[in-house]
Amino acid sequence: MRLHPLTSLAAAGSTAVITTAAASWPVSLTVIAAAVGLSFAQGAARRMLPAAAVILVPLVLSLLALHGLFFPEGTTVLAQWGPARVTAQGLQFALERAAQLSAAVLVLLLGSFTVSVPDLVAVLSTRGVNARFAFVLASTLTLLPAISSRLERIRQAQEARGLVIRPGIPGRVAAFRWQAVPLLLSLVEEAGTRAAALQARGFGSAGPITSYRQVLDSPVQRWARVVLLLAALAAIVFRLWQPTAGA
Amino acid sequence: MSSLTLPPQTPATARNRRLLEVLGAVAIAGTYIYLVLNQPADITGGPGSASALIALSGFLVGAVLLIIGVLPTLPVSTLVLIPVALVLNIVLGQFVGSTLVPFYLDAIGTVLIAVLAGPAAGAATGALSSIIWSFFNPTVLPFAAGAALIGCLAGLAARYGLFRRFYLAPVAGFLTGIVGGVVSAPVAAFVFGGTSGLATGAIVSAFRSMGDSLLAAITKQALISDPMDKAIVFTLVAVLVYALPRRTRLQFPFVRQYRVLAGTASNHPGNQPTGHSTGQDA
Repeated sequence: MRLHPLTSLAAAGSTAVITTAAASWPVSLTVIAAAVGLSFAQGAARRMLPAAAVILVPLVLSLLALHGLFFPEGTTVLAQWGPARVTAQGLQFALERAAQLSAAVLVLLLGSFTVSVPDLVAVLSTRGVNARFAFVLASTLTLLPAISSRLERIRQAQEARGLVIRPGIPGRVAAFRWQAVPLLLSLVEEAGTRAAALQARGFGSAGPITSYRQVLDSPVQRWARVVLLLAALAAIVFRLWQPTAGA
Repeated sequence: MSSLTLPPQTPATARNRRLLEVLGAVAIAGTYIYLVLNQPADITGGPGSASALIALSGFLVGAVLLIIGVLPTLPVSTLVLIPVALVLNIVLGQFVGSTLVPFYLDAIGTVLIAVLAGPAAGAATGALSSIIWSFFNPTVLPFAAGAALIGCLAGLAARYGLFRRFYLAPVAGFLTGIVGGVVSAPVAAFVFGGTSGLATGAIVSAFRSMGDSLLAAITKQALISDPMDKAIVFTLVAVLVYALPRRTRLQFPFVRQYRVLAGTASNHPGNQPTGHSTGQDA
């Protein structure tokens, strides 16, 4: 059964919040394992894991280098080269924070990679203010791939006209201008056309909106969303009540 | 007299939206002050997540309130530019990042909208940019408040004429970067426990090796990277805006009303009277 888009986003969001609030090794590792397992089960692993790696590898390396080598608060020194001291506390801090962040990133990516964007837009646009947010979301997600290829075509066209990227900052700024100005011009022009077309079709009017896309929802999922949000809130309140527990 | 294409604007709804904007700003400012005042208790006691949660929820709630307050007030001609700005943030950011200099440059679209459409639109674009970008990269989500602030400040700089002289744009960017860096530093410190890039991480390490606390080290790193980054972004946006044809620039009521760009209204007073708005917004 396909989950309602809001249910999967609520599940991802509240899991991320609860993991951050729990701040414990076992919870973070369990969430990481579950997110990776679910991504394989949902068939999203092939797209999701490279995206996660691009984000997490530099982040984890940066954390390890930063706290592993320089942690002035650390007391148990494992090794020392000049000003750099490897301390047990620093390594522990880096690893704990890395696990916690990896869990949150993986869970949120799982949510966004498995949610169906057309369904999400259909759901959002039936609810007041969200129609505008839904438009921005859907139009960004569909513009992105189109624009990457257009930027490539502009670069090829300018190279055919004799664009050479010269060394030094002025040369590069000039090259940037050659490519960015045509891109921006075409985008602004299209946006103007789109605005006129959208307004002619009543976009931004306050009246009722009919959607041709039916998104299945069930009372169970409605309750599940409420419970998930309450659980996330409870986790935040509990953590603020006992700021140092488990840390 | 109700318009067919625009939602009715009663004084009550306008007041509610103003209230939401103020609440959003208060949430962001309050979170920052709380984090800075309470930082010594938490950061060395392990990944204490109370501060991370406060940073996340306070900044996010503020950003979402700003979006709810601003988004319905934007004219459709500005609204359709927001996706363009988000795409520019992502695509140009990556493109410039790979060819130009090792900065982040992820605010070009936000600053562009702010210059063309004003501080409110800039703030909404910054916050929306972080929220929608987080569909591919959840680590940018906590920086929504910082991005909104940068959009707002860029809009204010444009409104008070800092884009009329080309040499003033980097100065405005530099000052914006200082504020933006200082506000984003607690997020980097409490949510990420460091920075996400290796180059910025090296700068933080240098300050840590001198015995600074994590927040102090990250704030100093932000004070080195962000002003330079934003000065470059503002300059690039000035290059882009002045490269746009006059007709395109003057499409935006904000640009006409506050004479944001040099020579837009004053040089040709007969052609474009300031109050004469025949754009798609009316």
